[in-house]
Amino acid sequence: MKKLFTISQFTVFGLIIAGCNGIQREPSRVYMPDMAYSRAYETYSVTDFMKEELKRDHNFNYSNIPVPGTIKRGELFPFALTKDADGDSTNYVASKKIQNPLPPLNTLDSTEAERLYLVNCGICHGPKLDGNGPLYKGGDGPFPAKPATLVGDARYEAMPVGQMYYSVTYGKNKMGSYASQLDTRQRWMVISYIKSKQVANKTSAPASSSSDSTAKK
Amino acid sequence: MHYRLIAPKTAYCLLILSFVAFSKSSSAQDGKALFQSNCASCHNPVRVVIGPALKGVTDRVPDNKLLHSWIKNNQTVLKSGNKYFTDLYNQYSKVPMNTFPGLTDPDIDAILKYVNSYTVATPGNNGTPTATESDSTLLYGILTIILAVIMLTLLQVNSNLKKLSDDKEGIPSAEPIPFYRNKAYITLLILVLFVIGGYFLVEGAIGLGRNKGYQPVQPIFYSHKVHAGTNQISCLYCHGGAWESKQASVPSLNICMNCHAAINEYKGDKIYREDGSEVNGTEEIQKLYSYTGYDPKSGKYTQAGRPIEWIKIHNLPDYVFFSHAQHIRAGKVQCQTCHGPIQQMSEVRQFADLSMSWCVNCHRTTKVDFPDSAGNTGNKFYNIYEKFHKELKPGDSITVEKIGGTECQKCHY
Repeated sequence: MKKLFTISQFTVFGLIIAGCNGIQREPSRVYMPDMAYSRAYETYSVTDFMKEELKRDHNFNYSNIPVPGTIKRGELFPFALTKDADGDSTNYVASKKIQNPLPPLNTLDSTEAERLYLVNCGICHGPKLDGNGPLYKGGDGPFPAKPATLVGDARYEAMPVGQMYYSVTYGKNKMGSYASQLDTRQRWMVISYIKSKQVANKTSAPASSSSDSTAKK
Repeated sequence: MHYRLIAPKTAYCLLILSFVAFSKSSSAQDGKALFQSNCASCHNPVRVVIGPALKGVTDRVPDNKLLHSWIKNNQTVLKSGNKYFTDLYNQYSKVPMNTFPGLTDPDIDAILKYVNSYTVATPGNNGTPTATESDSTLLYGILTIILAVIMLTLLQVNSNLKKLSDDKEGIPSAEPIPFYRNKAYITLLILVLFVIGGYFLVEGAIGLGRNKGYQPVQPIFYSHKVHAGTNQISCLYCHGGAWESKQASVPSLNICMNCHAAINEYKGDKIYREDGSEVNGTEEIQKLYSYTGYDPKSGKYTQAGRPIEWIKIHNLPDYVFFSHAQHIRAGKVQCQTCHGPIQQMSEVRQFADLSMSWCVNCHRTTKVDFPDSAGNTGNKFYNIYEKFHKELKPGDSITVEKIGGTECQKCHY
């Protein structure tokens, strides 16, 4: 009898301790959630329209693409060229003629452009624009293809801005489209930033030693 | 090796020199550097990128001269109607390969040597299961139980000895009472249970509707540790909405596919679930392909995509207004301040309890970033308060609370 009591005590203690270490996979309970849940449609909430969509198509989308031709307030005019079909490069070649509509970046803009570059481009093309970001890491990173060396490669230094814009908008080779992450103005800002770094590198290159390809201000 | 005449030799030297000048720091015989500067944007030694995987190419094309002429100018080889290369060209959807007239025969040999000797780095085993971290509580619990048992035994021994000595001296002892009928023991037990019960009751009542530590199983094992930690992807790359708007936003699938169209297998350190079981990263990437309808073999979207129904972890009640942009852009708060060490979490858990006292405590202690004499431009957002700031004695600092950060209407309206 006494033995049984001791054993049961041990089990209860054990259960309490094991309970403390659990991973909480379910949300906790609520008590009278007055005004806690939104009556209005919040971001990523499932609406009645979505439920109908789900019934009809067995599918729905949280974030829909705006109606074609929509221009956001303050946004630049959309890119005149459409994406080339597979194996065609007519529009890619035609994009050479397109010019940057933005005036040269002022200090505030270029800080913002640098931030945009580091957030969106730096992981592959490298914070120093040397085509060796943390995703490639000189061939040791997970990305299988070498990203373009934006500073220090004559091919990309001679590349027209329009063609760069085409690549950022629609993607090129293994690079995806960045049209959903950067709006038209931001894309041109990033390209201005890259071009300014290339110019800075070219002017400083003869002075500095050739082994250091980092762009200096 | 062939013997050459002086004239071609000088031409060859000039070629190398021009190449060195062109590609900066790479010696002519360095196969890896040559491969990376010329071939790596379309080829990988062991994986299909835009062109085929190159390892073992000398076995597939035994004719060394043909291979060299293909690499230098593939258009002439195609025009000559070589069957192997024409088939290859058609197989890779007729994407023309660049021509490399600048590469010399020794350069190409060095590249081929590098490509054939390429070995895949084996995944390390640095990541240990995280389950071992929380084991100390169990250890302490067991220790407490053992000590309690020893204490009880010693008390029993003590009373037995007392009884023996009392018997020897002839003092009549009272009838022994078993401990479960002993009033002192029962009172103590009730007190302990009352304290423990009260503690859990209060904790439970406070915890109603709070979710600190909530860690749901997501439809795909997406590891923030791999993406934001190891690969150093900025939080804003995927959650760009945090900079622009109220919501941090969950990325749509095209953002995943920016990288995963090319990265179709996981080769990094081993990753583990919270319960210690290992995760096959490559399988999880395949799950992403099934959602997007992407076929990694052909590199095309063959089926209609459908969104991933991620489970939202951080939920605020509707009566609280919170804007990400306001906090990270104007307030310059780091993501980790509220979301914890997210770059170390394989599975995301809620780090803060998101209670009102937690919000208010931060608003009481955070200082407003004003411009100072040291040249720090500060946060221009608060320029309107600068006059008041200057009127205060130097060295005094203003917290968010002082500029209305704890007003009810700031968050509840």
